[in-house]
Amino acid sequence: MSVSATYDVVVIGGGHNGLTAAATLAKKGKSVCVIEKAEAFGGMAREVAHLLYNLHPKVARELGLGALNEGKPLSTISLAEDGNHVEISGDTVRFADGAAHPDAAAYAEMIRRLKKFAGVLGQLSTKTPPKLDGGLTSLATLGELAGLAKMGLDLKRLGKKDMNEFLRVILTNAYDLVLDEMPDGPLAGALCADAVRGNFVGPRSPGTVFNLMYRLGQGGDVRLPKGGMIAVARAFEDAARKAGVDLRAGQGVTRVLIENDTVNGVELEDGTVINTRAVLSSAAPKATMEMAGIEHFDVEAARRMRHMRCKGSVAKLTLTLKDAPSIKGLSWDQMKSRFLIAPSAAAVERSFNPVKYNELPTAPVIEAVIPTLSDVEVASDGRHILSANIQHVPHTPEGGWDDAKRRHVINTVVAQLETHMPGLAALVESPDLLTPADIEARTGAPGGHWHHAEMGVDQILTVRPVNGMAHYRFAIGGLYLCGAAAHPGGDVTGLPGRNSALQLLKDGVLS
Amino acid sequence: MSKTPTAVPVGAIPTPLYERMEAISTTKSWANWAGYISPLVLDTVEFEYFAIRNQSTLFDISPMHKYRISGPDALKVLNRLVTRDVAKLRDGRVGYALWCDEEGMVIDDGTIFRYTETDFLLCCQETMYSWLLDSAWGFEADIIDESHTIAGVSLQGPTTFSLLKEAGLGAVEDMKPFDLREVEPGLWVSRTGFTGDLGYELWTAWDDIAALWDRLWAAGGNWGLRAIGAEALNMVRIEAGFIAAGVDFQPVHTAMRLHRGRSPLELGFEKLVHFEKGHFNGRRALLQQREDGMKHHLVKIDIGGFKPADGSLIYHRKKKEVGHVTSGVWSPTMKQNIALAEFKAPYGKAIQDDLWVEIYVNEEGQWDKRIVPLTVVDKPFFQNARSRATPPKSF
Repeated sequence: MSVSATYDVVVIGGGHNGLTAAATLAKKGKSVCVIEKAEAFGGMAREVAHLLYNLHPKVARELGLGALNEGKPLSTISLAEDGNHVEISGDTVRFADGAAHPDAAAYAEMIRRLKKFAGVLGQLSTKTPPKLDGGLTSLATLGELAGLAKMGLDLKRLGKKDMNEFLRVILTNAYDLVLDEMPDGPLAGALCADAVRGNFVGPRSPGTVFNLMYRLGQGGDVRLPKGGMIAVARAFEDAARKAGVDLRAGQGVTRVLIENDTVNGVELEDGTVINTRAVLSSAAPKATMEMAGIEHFDVEAARRMRHMRCKGSVAKLTLTLKDAPSIKGLSWDQMKSRFLIAPSAAAVERSFNPVKYNELPTAPVIEAVIPTLSDVEVASDGRHILSANIQHVPHTPEGGWDDAKRRHVINTVVAQLETHMPGLAALVESPDLLTPADIEARTGAPGGHWHHAEMGVDQILTVRPVNGMAHYRFAIGGLYLCGAAAHPGGDVTGLPGRNSALQLLKDGVLS
Repeated sequence: MSKTPTAVPVGAIPTPLYERMEAISTTKSWANWAGYISPLVLDTVEFEYFAIRNQSTLFDISPMHKYRISGPDALKVLNRLVTRDVAKLRDGRVGYALWCDEEGMVIDDGTIFRYTETDFLLCCQETMYSWLLDSAWGFEADIIDESHTIAGVSLQGPTTFSLLKEAGLGAVEDMKPFDLREVEPGLWVSRTGFTGDLGYELWTAWDDIAALWDRLWAAGGNWGLRAIGAEALNMVRIEAGFIAAGVDFQPVHTAMRLHRGRSPLELGFEKLVHFEKGHFNGRRALLQQREDGMKHHLVKIDIGGFKPADGSLIYHRKKKEVGHVTSGVWSPTMKQNIALAEFKAPYGKAIQDDLWVEIYVNEEGQWDKRIVPLTVVDKPFFQNARSRATPPKSF
C-alpha cells in the first residue's frame, strides 16, 4: 500500500453530480480529486440520458454551464395512431398540422398550476432537507426549518384555492389529475409519460403528480445541446478541471479507509491509497456502505439501504439509420422534436403492467429523438441516429437477458416506431440496446435506476435515500453522499452534488 | 426439538422438565415464559428463597432464547451488536452484555458464551432471531436459533459445588465465575446465574435435560436441593442488583410508545459501553447522549420501613414527582427494604437528597399511605465472598 497523494476531498464517481460537487469544493479553494471507474466521465448523463432538462440554473451559473440552458427548447410531439399528432411547445398545444387542440386551454392552465407548485417545492431542492429530530433548541435545525417555514409561507401566498389544490394533488396520481382536466388521448398520454419516466410506476401510482412537478422544476423545457449529452458530460468535466479538480478515470475505489469513525483515505483497485479528510460518494448508498465496511453502520441503516427501492425500468435504444426517417404530416423542422409514443393515459398504465411481473414490454412508452437532424455535425455519411428511452423494461427478466429477449425488445420498439415512421425497420443498420442491467453494469447505478433510488414519497426529501441519512452525511465522519440517490434526486440537475458539497463545508469537516 | 409437532400447540407448552416440576408442585402456580410453562412458585416462596441463600436450588431455564453465532466473522458481528468489547472476552468465558438500537436504546441484555473466536452462544430474554439476521447481513456468520435444541437448568446456592461433586461433576472445582466448560461430552457448565450467589448453569441437549435433572436431584438430598420458581428468583436478583428486561427497562423493540427506551448509560452500565472498540450499534447516539446528558437514571435504593415499594412513585422534597420504583422487595437476608428505581435526571445521581417514596399499603381493606425516605446505594445489596471463591468452599 503506497500513499500516492493527499487531498482535502476525494469524490467517488465522475458522473455529473460528482463533478459538480468537486467543482463546487475546488472553487472554495479545496484540493479535490474525482475517481471515476469508467474510462470516461459523465456517468448516466452520458450513457442513458439523451435530452437535457432540469439542469439547475444555480449549478449552471456557478459552474459556467449557462450555454447548456440556452437555445430553443425542443417541441414535444405525442404521436397519435390516427395521424392527429399533438404538438406541445412550452405551454402551447396544437395539432401538428396547426389546427387548434380542444384541450389547449385546460393543458395551459394545468401546467401553469403545476409549475407554480413546482416552484414552491423547488425551494427545498437547493437545500439540505429539514430535520426535525434536533429539537427546536438546535441552531442547525432552526436554520433548516426556516426553509420549510418559507415554503409554508409561499404556499399560503398561492392563495387559498391554489394552496388547497396543491395539498390535494401533491400525493395523488397523474392519471386522475390529468383525466380530470381532459379526455384521454395523446395529450393526456404525454403528460402521464412524463410523470412516470425513470420510475417504477404507472400513471395510476401514487406520487406521480410529485414526479411530474419534479420534472417541471426548472420549467420543463427540454433541450438538445450541441454535441448531445456527450458534450454535456464534457462541459461538467471541463468545469471541474477548470476549477482545479484532479480527475482520474479508469480505476474505481475499492475501499474507503476509516480510522476512529472518521474517513482518512480511499484505496483504489490497484491498491493505491489516497489520503483525504472527506469522501463524497456519488455511488449508490449500498455500494458506498460496502466500500466503507458494513461494520461501521448501524444495523437499521444497513437494513434500510439494502431495502431501498431501486428497480430500474428505463432502457435505452440507439438506432443507427441509413437515412433520416419521416413521419407523415410532420415537417422537417417538426422531425427535430421529442417524440412520445404514449397514445393515452390508459396506454401508459398498460405499459407498466408487464414490468411489474418482470416480463418484457409489449407496448412500452417511448421517448425518441433524432439528434442528427438538429446537429448535422454528428451525422456521418448521411447516417442518422434515433435515440429512444424505453419506459417499463425489467432490470432482469425471468431467466435473464439473452439475445432473443434483447431482439424482442428491439423489434417491439422498432415496430412501434414503424407505425409512425414507415420503412424505419429497413433503415436500421445497428441497434444498440442498453437494458437497465447494462446501465447498472456500466454506471453502477443500483438497478440501473434513472434516479439511483425510486422517487417515491417514502424516498424523497427527509427520507432520501433512506430515513436517517437525508443530510448527505453518511454515518461516518467525513463521508458524504453526493449522487442522485441523495436529495433532491435524479435527472441532470447537479443539485445533489452541489448541496452535498455545501453541507460538507457547513459541517466544518475541512476547517 | 425432540420431534416436529404436527400442529401448532395451543397455549403454553411443557418443557422437558415440566413433568418433574408438576409432580412436586403444591401450588400449581405457573406462568408463561416465552411460550413455555414455567413455575412461579412450586411450594412456598419463603422456602424457595431461603434455599437459594442457604442450600441448593434448581430452576428450569430451558425457555431462555439461545442463538448460536458462528463463522469467520462471528466476533465482528457480536462486536457490532453489543456495547462491550467481545474481543476481550477469552475463549471459555461468559460475558454479560447489552445491545442497542441505532438510537442507543437497549434492545435486550443477555449473556454471551464464547466457545472460540468463531463460535458463540447468545442467551437472552427476548426473541432476537430476525435482529441477529439483520446484524449478520453482509458478514460471514451463521445465526442458528438453538432455543429449542439446548435446554438448561440453573443450580444456585452455597452448597451447589458440593452437590455437583456428589453428582460426579467435581470437575467444575477450578472454574472461576463466568468460566464456561464442557465437563462431559454434550454437557456444558457455566459458573453463572441470576442470584449473586455461588451457582452454575448447566446446558445440554433438549432431550438430555430430564436425565440431568434426575442426576442432580439424586445427589441433592444432602445439600438441601429444592426446585424453585420465578418469584423467589426475583427476590434474589433484586438483592444482587440485577436488572430484568420488561421490568426495570422496556426492551425498545417491544415498546409501543415513544421515548420508552433507555440507554445502557441510563441503566448504569457505563463500564460495559466500550466506545474505544470501534463502531457498534447505537455508538454515535450514545456518544451524543454522553455529551448531551442522560434523561434518566436507574439506581439501587434502600427504602425506609419494611413495606415493599414495588411500583411506588418517588418525590423530591415530598412534592415533585421525580421517579418510580421498578422492582422492590423486602430482603429477608439483608433485612432491608430494597429496590431498583428509575429517576428523571438529574435526580438519583446529581441530586440524591430529600427523596421520598410514597408507598400505599392495604391493611385488610383499609388503604394507608406512607411517605418514607430513601438512600441511593452504589453496591449490590447482597454480596458474599462465597459467590466468588475458587475453588468454592465445601459444606
